[in-house]
Amino acid sequence: MSFIEIIFYVFASILVLTSLGVILFKNPVYSAISLIVSFITSAALWLLLQAEFLAIVLILVYVGAVMVLFLFVVMMLNIDDVMRTSKFNKMAPFALFIGLIVVAELITLIWFRSDQFSMVPVSTGVLDSGVSNTVLLGTTLFTDYLYLFEIAGFILLLAIIVSISLTMRRREGLKRQIVSEQVNIDQTKRMKLVDLKNERN
Amino acid sequence: MLTLQPYLTLAAIVFGIGVMGIIINRKNIIILLMCTELLLLAVNFNFIAFSYFNQDITGQIFVFFILTVAAAEAAIGLAILVVLYRNKNSIDVQKLQTLRE
Repeated sequence: MSFIEIIFYVFASILVLTSLGVILFKNPVYSAISLIVSFITSAALWLLLQAEFLAIVLILVYVGAVMVLFLFVVMMLNIDDVMRTSKFNKMAPFALFIGLIVVAELITLIWFRSDQFSMVPVSTGVLDSGVSNTVLLGTTLFTDYLYLFEIAGFILLLAIIVSISLTMRRREGLKRQIVSEQVNIDQTKRMKLVDLKNERN
Repeated sequence: MLTLQPYLTLAAIVFGIGVMGIIINRKNIIILLMCTELLLLAVNFNFIAFSYFNQDITGQIFVFFILTVAAAEAAIGLAILVVLYRNKNSIDVQKLQTLRE
């Protein structure tokens, strides 16, 4: 067994264990941390597959942004509401049944019907050509997939707009600045002259 | 020498765990969103593996777009979750049956 294979099987077992942790932990904070570990582990496995840029992006974007957002939301909610009361419910045997069927079908396809795939890397490939992965990805992304790239940017813009407009709320009784009234003010409204009676003793 | 099958098998197992998590979990929407992330991770794993074994960069481009969409989906999902918690004071999946009544 070569060094690469040892690395693969160690990281693969970590990935499976932490994925099980995501669905089995009672506390959602533990689930989120378990998901973080599984993301980092799969980033390490992607490095074995020469996807260096995407491995770093997975750690930066997923662990750095998305999972922090998850943890932030979990901690914002009341912890008694988000704790699961019992570890297994009545759907558990059914879920195990469905999951085992899905895995069994996929593994059957992979191991017995995989004659079409090349099982070892194609010898003269573009990933092995000495060009760095980031350069290769960027060159392809900005030539062949430019329109899709712009659509992806638009999707991100849409996500920003949607999440802000969903979570923004106006509370009653809040003293906030009203710019239009400030701009439209004139001199007569600023100052009010009141005649006072002389109060001489 | 590692062939393609161990990678695909690993992705299939992670995918199965994600499916199981979605069915098993009737209590908490946050875990549901996390299981969706697991499913997307398994799909990405398949793309990366095929990209390496076919020596074609297109698979990695696809993973790039899937990551973008998944980030947008997580942001919108969590925003919906926050609004839901604000209105109902609960994120229990089984209490979300307003449309059924």
